[in-house]
Amino acid sequence: MLIQIQIIIGTLSVILLLITLELIRKERLREEYSILWLFTGLAILVFSLMPEFFLSQFFTRITGIYYLSAVVLIAFLFLLLIVLHFSVVISKLMDRNKELAQRHALLEMEFKEMKRHTLPHGVDRS
Amino acid sequence: MEKLAKKILVIIPAFNEEGSVEKVIEDVKVHLPQASILVVNDGSTDLTSEKAKAKQALVLDLPFNLGIGGAMQAGYKYADERGYDIAIQVDGDGQHSPEEIPKLLQAMTQRNLDMAVGSRFIGDSAYKSSTMRRVGSSILSGLISLIIGQKVTDPTSGFRAADRKAIRLFASSYPQDYPEPEVLVFLRKSGLKMGEVPVRMNERYSGESSITKMRSVYYMAKVMLAIFIDSFKKGLSE
Repeated sequence: MLIQIQIIIGTLSVILLLITLELIRKERLREEYSILWLFTGLAILVFSLMPEFFLSQFFTRITGIYYLSAVVLIAFLFLLLIVLHFSVVISKLMDRNKELAQRHALLEMEFKEMKRHTLPHGVDRS
Repeated sequence: MEKLAKKILVIIPAFNEEGSVEKVIEDVKVHLPQASILVVNDGSTDLTSEKAKAKQALVLDLPFNLGIGGAMQAGYKYADERGYDIAIQVDGDGQHSPEEIPKLLQAMTQRNLDMAVGSRFIGDSAYKSSTMRRVGSSILSGLISLIIGQKVTDPTSGFRAADRKAIRLFASSYPQDYPEPEVLVFLRKSGLKMGEVPVRMNERYSGESSITKMRSVYYMAKVMLAIFIDSFKKGLSE
């Protein structure tokens, strides 16, 4: 039972790591996220390789959780952090996007005005 | 100084308002001939921009839809950069009567306001609206009145005039999603003076309210949450 879970989780984390590495190689993932994902993948891999620690009396006694729930819980917390981080990034991007759109529109308007003034006979080629 | 004519800009945010934008521009020209008119075309997919240009209005074409907050802020940025003294927001759907603009301007000088807001609900303005909206509106105005310590009757009114100080403030920061009620709180936090003026408003010429009956409860909850978060922001910055 335990060994099966170990294999499943271990395989998943290896796949996750491979995908992350591939994305980094293709420069599809920015550094800050790649570190986060590599760390996540490694953390899960370590948990699947070292079930002894998570089954130990010591760990169970201080946390009150068993191996599987520990992995799920920790993975879930990581995901929560990542998703929250994404919300922050998206908010920032949306803000910048708005600023850019406004600046673009203002500049375009100014540009058309200038063009109208410099072109002879008031030709509007816009 | 006071004798000098003030540079006035009428900002008309418009998203797919081809049915009404011409009429609004014409009305503004009749009632406020000295003002420049800027239509902020918020990524319309219809002929809003062309129709406004044909009416000799200035048109600021946003590359895509930013929503009313982003559109109005773009207008304020324009007003700020071109040195306008007063910026007046008039919705592109024809809900606001440009003939009421002088009332806003008058109130600003007489009561020394940084922003004058046209209100449907004070005075003898007989504005028809559903019970649902009335209830929602009064809860919202009660909440905002409480937060800013000043009586507000029509917090969602987008019919407003802003002076130089307010223009500069809005150009640098303007709420996104539900700007009208949030601006009132924001203005107070920034120490600017706001006052309401009774005005008459029309049924819209075309289009639909951005707040449909079905969604009004949802809208209310979100506005209140946004305002709650705004007051929290203050706590953090000070």
